[in-house]
Amino acid sequence: MLIDDNIIDLKINNKIILISKLFDDIIQFQSGEDALNYFSDHANEPDKMPHLILLDIQMPEMDGFEFLENYKRFSPQLKDSCLVAMLSSTLDFGDIHKAEANPYVIKLLKKPLIPSELEIIFNANFKIID
Amino acid sequence: MTRSPVKVLYIDDEENNLLAFKASFRRQYEIYTANSAAEGLKVLENLPVEVIIADQKMPETTGVEFFKSISVSYPDPIRILLTGYTDIAALADAINHGDIYRYITKPWNDLELHNSIKNAHDAYKSKIDLRNKIKELEKTNDELNRFIYSISHELRAPLVSVIGIVNLVKMEGLYHSSGEYWELIESCSNKLDYYIQKTLQYYKNNKNVSDLSEINFKKLVDEIIDLYSYTDRDTKFNLNINQPGSFIGDSFRIEVILGNLISNAIKYQKDSEHQKVVDIHIDVSPYKVDISITDNGLGILNEHLEKIFTQFFKTKNNKGSGLGLFIVKEALNKIDGKISVRSSLNQGTTFKITIPNGN
Repeated sequence: MLIDDNIIDLKINNKIILISKLFDDIIQFQSGEDALNYFSDHANEPDKMPHLILLDIQMPEMDGFEFLENYKRFSPQLKDSCLVAMLSSTLDFGDIHKAEANPYVIKLLKKPLIPSELEIIFNANFKIID
Repeated sequence: MTRSPVKVLYIDDEENNLLAFKASFRRQYEIYTANSAAEGLKVLENLPVEVIIADQKMPETTGVEFFKSISVSYPDPIRILLTGYTDIAALADAINHGDIYRYITKPWNDLELHNSIKNAHDAYKSKIDLRNKIKELEKTNDELNRFIYSISHELRAPLVSVIGIVNLVKMEGLYHSSGEYWELIESCSNKLDYYIQKTLQYYKNNKNVSDLSEINFKKLVDEIIDLYSYTDRDTKFNLNINQPGSFIGDSFRIEVILGNLISNAIKYQKDSEHQKVVDIHIDVSPYKVDISITDNGLGILNEHLEKIFTQFFKTKNNKGSGLGLFIVKEALNKIDGKISVRSSLNQGTTFKITIPNGN
């Protein structure tokens, strides 16, 4: 699942993930609110839940951290099978430290997304499931 | 615009003096009187008094004691001490602790007192003006910093998208599809990104706040190498980090300093060199940290060594911005660090820095 307010970045990252061939389906949302609605609407359909969320930090209204605050409230089953990585062009140490300190965030990825970084996350977290 | 009259508070235990003062000055000033320090304090609590005149010899609290007692809670009003006798001890005490502007002997001379009040009010005004100006300046400076900071981030976001697109072009095998155009776009984008990053660093360094925290040099250096070596995987790093105790320092500036030096060490390699090596030695003691960073790269011409730390100094054939080492030097200045450099052309360069431990 990609969450990013910037439609161009959504396109780019969607394409990069496709080319990497690491993931089967990609769901895209232009805001944290839309993504949260998706989770609520499909809470009982495990096959519709993503295994990885790539979350932008700076977004209008609900930023990445606020999204995580809301995401926290979802059921443990949902969260256990879904990892969150933040994906941002930020150079702000405040943001970087905040992302590292957040228990749900496995990694802060820097834009532009590089397939090898994605592969590292994939190998570290999804290989066994396959 | 008519100016509101100067608010003067006069404290004296002798009722006659209060009356005489009122009679002489009520036309020029807005006068409040009190017959004891306690009463005077009540007036201060309710009114923004600009000038306070207090008699020294009062029962319970003397004038100097009163001034001392309000020096923290009411630092702004200008103080004038009145006393009927010359008590050198009281005077010395007043000057040392009471922040007294003028000392006037009793019985006062109307003209002298009038001038003193006038001068005191001018002093009060300049004090407040100065404070407002400083506040204003700090605000503007703060806004400017924040503006640079956010605009740099805003500029960077679409730029990073461009770099992402170029990456996609590469991945889809289109990079060489239009001659060298994609390559040119990539190199321009990277350059622009570099400038934006340096601008951010420069402005963050310019802020005077320093964020002291504990620094783990091993972790920091690993992170920096990780960050900068993605452009060049050939360089071998030899780390020798000796940190037996804690080090307290400004983590942002130290990161900027090490980041710039390490990225330079990677950047200015010889293309012909097959074993590109960067040696990093770090020794932490309770008083300071000594860091040396040595590469076997291009080296620096002797005549350039003195200029490398100046803003926008570049050599003809390097790809630098002229900002990196300038920022290093500026950041070291802010944290009392020192830097020295030794280099021989085509052999390599060693930068040595020392930063005090803020333990």
